[in-house]
Amino acid sequence: MSANPFLAWLAVLVFDTCGQLAFKAATHHAEGEGLARWRAMAAQPWLWLGIAAFIAEFIAWLAFLSLVPLAEGVLLATLNMATVMLGGRLLFGERLTPRRMAGVALIAAGVILVGVG
Amino acid sequence: MKPGWRFYAVGFAVLMAFDTLSQLCFKLAALHAAPFAGDWPWLLRVAREPFVYGAIVGYLGAFITYMGLLRHAPVGPAFAASHLNVVSVLLVSAWLLHERLNPLQLAGAALIVTGILVLAGAERDDGAAAR
Repeated sequence: MSANPFLAWLAVLVFDTCGQLAFKAATHHAEGEGLARWRAMAAQPWLWLGIAAFIAEFIAWLAFLSLVPLAEGVLLATLNMATVMLGGRLLFGERLTPRRMAGVALIAAGVILVGVG
Repeated sequence: MKPGWRFYAVGFAVLMAFDTLSQLCFKLAALHAAPFAGDWPWLLRVAREPFVYGAIVGYLGAFITYMGLLRHAPVGPAFAASHLNVVSVLLVSAWLLHERLNPLQLAGAALIVTGILVLAGAERDDGAAAR
């Protein structure tokens, strides 16, 4: 990851997106309720892949923030919302309706404002 | 079975509560264990700080709650909606830690809440069509 802010940002984007999609995949491949459901999720790789991606993202995020100011970091990280949405469309057939896109865009704009403020 | 709005409202409220708990506990643990240093004495100070365990409870609770939500919710909107914790952490830090909020941050918080209401409305109106 060295001292390249672009690479650190890319790592945050990739790990965050993969992690979210892996968590969603984990819930697809599990039967049962409660503890049995968690046992079923723990028995296949998706949940662990998601957790590994989450840890990697955390480290990449710390590296990224050590290279850019917080406001810029938050600004660039909101792109994750778009990639997770796109990934949900491609992998799970989630619909990209105008209202969903508007809602996510409003949230992203809000997160950016809080980060800048 | 497709869950109703109550499932999402309660689920995201619980997720927000756990997220806020862990963020607040992290901040309090860091304040108590200050000054920061990446060494063993500092790590020991952190480990003796009860707030760290509050943060861990918050993380675990948020994880379990989020996985429960993802079972039914599409991941795209759910991930975006999980940013509701930005609003709650902002309000709690003003209320308990007496941090000052500026107008931009308040406008941002209002936008996030609006976006979540838009997503909730979309889910209510075409939720029956699944996904």
